[in-house]
Amino acid sequence: MASYLRFENVTRRFGSFTAVNNVTLDIEHGETFSLLGPSGCGKTTLLRMAAGFDKPDEGRVLLDGKDITPLPPEQRPVNTVFQSYALFPHLSIRDNIAFGPKIAKWAPEKISRGVDEMLELVDLKAHADKKPSQLSGGQKQRVALARALVNKPKVLLLDEPLAALDLKLRQRLLVELDAIHDEVGITFIYVTHDQGEAMSISDRIAVMNKGVIEQVGPPVQIYEAPRTSFVAAFIGDTNFLDGKIIDCIDSRFSRCEVKGFGSIVIDNDKPVSKGDRVHLSLRPEKLIVSREQPTTKETDNAIAGKVEDVIYYGSHTRYWVRCGDWKLCAEMQHRQYQLDETPPKWGDQVWLKWHANDGFLLEQYREEDEGMLTLPDAV
Amino acid sequence: MNKERKAEILSTLPSLGWLVMFVLIPVITIFAIAFRPALPAGGIGEGWSLDALKALGDPSYPALFARTIIISGLTTLACLAAGLPAAYAMARLTPAWRSRMLLLVIVPFWTNFVIRVFAWQQILHAEGYVAKFLRSLHIIGENDRLLGNTFAVVLVSFYTYLPFAILPLFAAAEKFDFGLLDAARDLGAKAGKAFFAVFVPGIKQGIITAFLVVFIPNLGSYVVPDMVGGTGTQMIGNKIAQRNFTDRNLPEAAALSGALALLVLAPMFIRRREKTAATA
Amino acid sequence: MRPSKVPLITLILVLVFFYLPIGFLVMNSFNKSRYASNWGGFSTYWYERLWERTDILAALGNSVKIATMASLLSMVLGTAAAFALERYKSKLQDAHRLLVTVPLVLPDILMGMSLLLLFVSFGAQLSLYTITIAHVTFCLSYVALVVQARLQDFDFNVVEAARDLGATKTQAFIKVTLPLLAPGIFAGGLLAFTLSIDDYVITYFVKGPGSDTLPTLVYSMIKKSKDLPVINALSSLMLLVTFAVVAVSQRLTRPPATPS
Repeated sequence: MASYLRFENVTRRFGSFTAVNNVTLDIEHGETFSLLGPSGCGKTTLLRMAAGFDKPDEGRVLLDGKDITPLPPEQRPVNTVFQSYALFPHLSIRDNIAFGPKIAKWAPEKISRGVDEMLELVDLKAHADKKPSQLSGGQKQRVALARALVNKPKVLLLDEPLAALDLKLRQRLLVELDAIHDEVGITFIYVTHDQGEAMSISDRIAVMNKGVIEQVGPPVQIYEAPRTSFVAAFIGDTNFLDGKIIDCIDSRFSRCEVKGFGSIVIDNDKPVSKGDRVHLSLRPEKLIVSREQPTTKETDNAIAGKVEDVIYYGSHTRYWVRCGDWKLCAEMQHRQYQLDETPPKWGDQVWLKWHANDGFLLEQYREEDEGMLTLPDAV
Repeated sequence: MNKERKAEILSTLPSLGWLVMFVLIPVITIFAIAFRPALPAGGIGEGWSLDALKALGDPSYPALFARTIIISGLTTLACLAAGLPAAYAMARLTPAWRSRMLLLVIVPFWTNFVIRVFAWQQILHAEGYVAKFLRSLHIIGENDRLLGNTFAVVLVSFYTYLPFAILPLFAAAEKFDFGLLDAARDLGAKAGKAFFAVFVPGIKQGIITAFLVVFIPNLGSYVVPDMVGGTGTQMIGNKIAQRNFTDRNLPEAAALSGALALLVLAPMFIRRREKTAATA
Repeated sequence: MRPSKVPLITLILVLVFFYLPIGFLVMNSFNKSRYASNWGGFSTYWYERLWERTDILAALGNSVKIATMASLLSMVLGTAAAFALERYKSKLQDAHRLLVTVPLVLPDILMGMSLLLLFVSFGAQLSLYTITIAHVTFCLSYVALVVQARLQDFDFNVVEAARDLGATKTQAFIKVTLPLLAPGIFAGGLLAFTLSIDDYVITYFVKGPGSDTLPTLVYSMIKKSKDLPVINALSSLMLLVTFAVVAVSQRLTRPPATPS
């Protein structure tokens, strides 16, 4: 697939701090692409370099094959939806949306047609003559979207556009945003620190940390096959295990010894050989908690432990289970209110069961990423 | 009367009483004395007279009022022209530099006003360095003077009032969301266009305040035209002082002051109406 | 995006413009020559002349006396006004607010003229007292303005906390409200002091014969073109005092370093 917006070896430093470190990234035409990462990871700097508010110290930004690096923001065919919306408080909603077209000297009838279309698109016709201060947060957000889209940008940049809204509204607008993307069909670049937003709206996600991209891929891949401990810990929650390969069972499975835990079967999703040290990410919802010793196949793992913490979340419950030197987090969904079996309680002896390919081998592990896990292991 | 009301009146009384005695009554006195006859010796006579009011029909007065408004207007324009970009630049600095700059702007206003005008009198003096330099470049002729004309009055008024213009402009600019300029640039506006289409309307309240604190006191300007102006730059304030101290005709001075008071109140009422329109 | 350099250049030019005349004054105070356009060499002659001028010292004394009285009185009246304006919403306060605003916007000459006419109508003897009354009148409004700004940011919960912890209304006011507002009241008083020292126009209208303040004395010296270089020396000394006060108050009011 052809690259539409391309960051090529882009570096941006602020004093001694490197905000973006030699990033190369290709974004395709028409996709919704998310830049996801914690604050200070460089995602906003990358976006600002696409918009033209910031210039890379090294590297180039290409749009549709053209080098746009030297262009000031007003000359770039991209528009931004700002985090704080940045609506002009002295202008009505209509005039806010008409700002770009007026600057571009569109014919008056074309302006009014374009603005009306946009008001229709974001369902704000009834509020056209109000001032921004008279609108709710969600409405302001939609005006910001309309004001950017009316200019028919080649790429729409969204800088944490929902961050200022409450959870329910955020979820609703996310659906709307997705619908609008389908309607206008232009490339969206979506910056967020909220993994839920990124997962639900994106065709592809780039996970950023400390100025570099840790992984690029569709949401499923990012979640199920994290390349690094950072990606595994930042997106969702997980358990990290480290061990040594003691036996290569066949081409698909190996046996791995985890110190103070026992030996477990793992899936060879990366090539391994006997004696290798490996790091494994194991998502809590993949672990099955039961009181009775579960029946296992050859490729299943079952480990005995004791429940040390229980937190009830409504739709699911989390258990922290002590297994030897390790404490694992497991999550159980509640499908029925009246359970056949009374759920495990604090202090209960339980079994944890998972299939070998529920775990995923990491290419890169950093101990500091353990800090992002909920109730990190306190051995 | 309840306790709350009593407490209100008790805490309001000292300042309100003072202000009624030394602001309200004196302002009313201005209008009252305009209808009194003048005594030849310089006092205020008994009874009522329209002489002072008739004196306002002096054929030189329309020009005097026009000159006062023009000089004040030019000064205000100059203050806004320099103050807007300066306030913008200050607001974009880091907080530490912002307070340093603010201090630098305020300090000259702490030096004595009369002395600052005096400094300009020396700088613009016919034998001063500036005049000599301009003469050597033939920008001004041998007999042209830098003092005693409208230029000198506007320049020195501009100097003394610029800090007063910058303060409200800066206060407004500091609250301004500079993200709006990014938004304007993003929507295709060049830097200058963004400044006038977004920044200037965004700090409108600051501009109105700056206008009021420069334009209104300037209408009553007295020291600057007296020290660096000439006969051709006399303003209403000079005329009031002249009637008062030279001619010793208090009723005429009062009539002129009354006219000035009305001139000053006009823009304030316009502003009040605008305010009520904005909140409606 | 390269931000435009025009505003920053304007700011720098403005600051240069602000300090150039002041620098010129200081330079000339050390000029041996009587004429500002001639550099006659470095000399402290004019400072020595200044020292001999008892009238200047007397005027300075008057100015300080008036400014002290005016700022103290206006601190009390202005703080009371600010409290009433901030606390109550009524027709009375609307009128009160209007009257507090008038001295802020009324041109000096009208203020001076109106007070002169008042004093003349009541047959009051023009003196240092009439000057003080005039100064209190305009200082009051500035103090009220400054204190009211502080009151708007004031967290009244702390007063309720004090009451909750057993303080009476008066105790809460003295032990909590006043100490917290003291910097604001003090800033208002300092502003009042500088405004009083600086005032020429209003003073000129309401002063009696022989009751010169520093600005009125300097003004008449300038008008008579008498001993102009002495004024330069005086100005330079006043500048020195101003800068010293600014430096000290900056040091005192500098906020403690906060971890970022």
